[in-house]
Amino acid sequence: MPTQATLTATSLTKIIGRKTIVDNVSFELQAGEIFGFLGPNGAGKTTTIRMLVGLIRPTAGHVTICGFDQRRQFEDAMRCVGCIVENPDLYRFMTGRENLEHFARMLRVAGSEIERVAELVSLAHRLDQRVGTYSLGMRQRLGIAQALLGDPRLLILDEPANGLDPAGIREIRELLRQLAAERDMSIFISSHLLAEIELTCDRVAIIHKGRILREGSVRELISSRREMELRVDDVARAGAIAAEHNLAYRTDTDRIWVAIEEQESPPLIAAIVQAGVNVFHAQRRTQSLEEMFLEATGGESVD
Amino acid sequence: MFIPLVQNETLKILRRKRFAVVAAILFAIIALVTYSQYRRLLEQRDRNWRAEIQQRVASFQNTLRRGRINETWARSMRAEINRLQFYLDHDIEPNKPTAPLFVRTFANVAGFLLLPLLIAILGSDIVSAENAEGTDKLLLTRPVRRWKVLTAKLVTLWTFATLTLLTGGAMAYAVSAPFLPRGGWTAPTFTGFSVERGALQIDAVRQLPLWKDTLIAYGLDWFALLTVACIALLLSVLFRSSAAAIGTMLASLIGGTILTRISPDWTAGKYLFVSALPLADYYTGEPPPYDGMSMLFCIALLSAWALAATAISYMIFTRRDVFG
Repeated sequence: MPTQATLTATSLTKIIGRKTIVDNVSFELQAGEIFGFLGPNGAGKTTTIRMLVGLIRPTAGHVTICGFDQRRQFEDAMRCVGCIVENPDLYRFMTGRENLEHFARMLRVAGSEIERVAELVSLAHRLDQRVGTYSLGMRQRLGIAQALLGDPRLLILDEPANGLDPAGIREIRELLRQLAAERDMSIFISSHLLAEIELTCDRVAIIHKGRILREGSVRELISSRREMELRVDDVARAGAIAAEHNLAYRTDTDRIWVAIEEQESPPLIAAIVQAGVNVFHAQRRTQSLEEMFLEATGGESVD
Repeated sequence: MFIPLVQNETLKILRRKRFAVVAAILFAIIALVTYSQYRRLLEQRDRNWRAEIQQRVASFQNTLRRGRINETWARSMRAEINRLQFYLDHDIEPNKPTAPLFVRTFANVAGFLLLPLLIAILGSDIVSAENAEGTDKLLLTRPVRRWKVLTAKLVTLWTFATLTLLTGGAMAYAVSAPFLPRGGWTAPTFTGFSVERGALQIDAVRQLPLWKDTLIAYGLDWFALLTVACIALLLSVLFRSSAAAIGTMLASLIGGTILTRISPDWTAGKYLFVSALPLADYYTGEPPPYDGMSMLFCIALLSAWALAATAISYMIFTRRDVFG
């Protein structure tokens, strides 16, 4: 069943008491696709993930993994999934190898798998030390190794960049891209970091206060959110010129942000300067997550 | 199919060094008691026990001959004479501290408080620690249903409860054997005395060799400990912190014991599992704190507690939401 979606979430809702934590969230993952789940802390990302992997019972909605109903065919469904939920919490009083053996026994996979996954996350040299002595980054790697046991079709990772140094982040990112491309694995990543999602994922859903605000390709949702920031002495004039160029813009007291591609920016800058406006600096920047939320929610603040 | 899961749980208990703690506690207590027994042995060495017993037999026989006591008393006295005569005939000093007798006594004195407490130490964090350390998120997202995970934990706990009892018995012998007389497994024991309406009942008195009597006492302890393990599992499911789980078990063991001693007229107390725990004591002849607590009642009561605790554990564990 290669054309079937690896993960389908249908109208997932979780209500605790009177509070709606997750509200009617639906999405689908195809094989070989890296899907980003982007939202600030407290947006409902982890609760959604807990429902995906069966830790929390949804108030409404359901989850299908590789064609299996996650509730009624739990064991078949979960055999297709490797996951890290929230922190990579492993047994600290056991060694890395014992941890991997523990989960390998639950999956009933061969012992040779342990060497393979440890190699993939470059942890083979520390495998015989107690996890209590590991740094957060190493525990993150061990968590990913554990998730890769048994070569699952779907990987669900909650904030996988947490605790890793920039080199480690890049290494893990490359591993994930490679797993998706070569093994056709579907990967679900949650993060509150825009840049992380932009660099790793193909598609992204933006979640805020338990609801999905936007869903689309990374290109249309994030990369198109680039803009030019100019610091000028006459904001009104600069704005008028941007308007003449048919460009969207926003301003504050001494800055103006114009939605424009880098290649098209020199004529605009030239026009502003020619109009006698002093330009102190000009730089490209990506809209921050907060600004994106402000835009999407129409000014409702992110708290 | 459960073996890999039980293997996992066993590994976790061993790596957490829970069983090492239990073994250390057992050793410390047994060593201390052995020392006191050894002291007693030294003090009794110069005593002429044959003369003492002959004197007691003679005084009983005198009383019987005078015939001024009722039939019930007379019967119990004759039984006592038989018992003492047996010691004289076989040249066995009664109540002399020996290693086998120590092993036997251990079943009675440890069965209702020390061993249950050790089971609580073993069992209290079998579920709660996974919860507190966040490892349940991984444990419960593997392709193994929750009831199987819990069953593996219960089976492991039962195994360790059994192991604790056996370790206690074996250690009692091993530690005391170098200091106390080693033989005496075939010495006679008399169990089944009971007091009913103020009179000593001897109809049910059985004479068994010590080894057989010991096996029965350990069997009864074993049954009580399996029940305790079920209750420890429930506490571990209910509480997130193992300290709370151990504390509750401790409080119910001690509180229950105090309650049964202080207010025996509050008869509902006989339905507490704590009242039925000293099975080995009741078997030996120690009267249960409440009327109508036959051996059968105690075993049925413990079974009911075990069943209820297990059922509630499964109900909660398989259904609850796992939050961070």
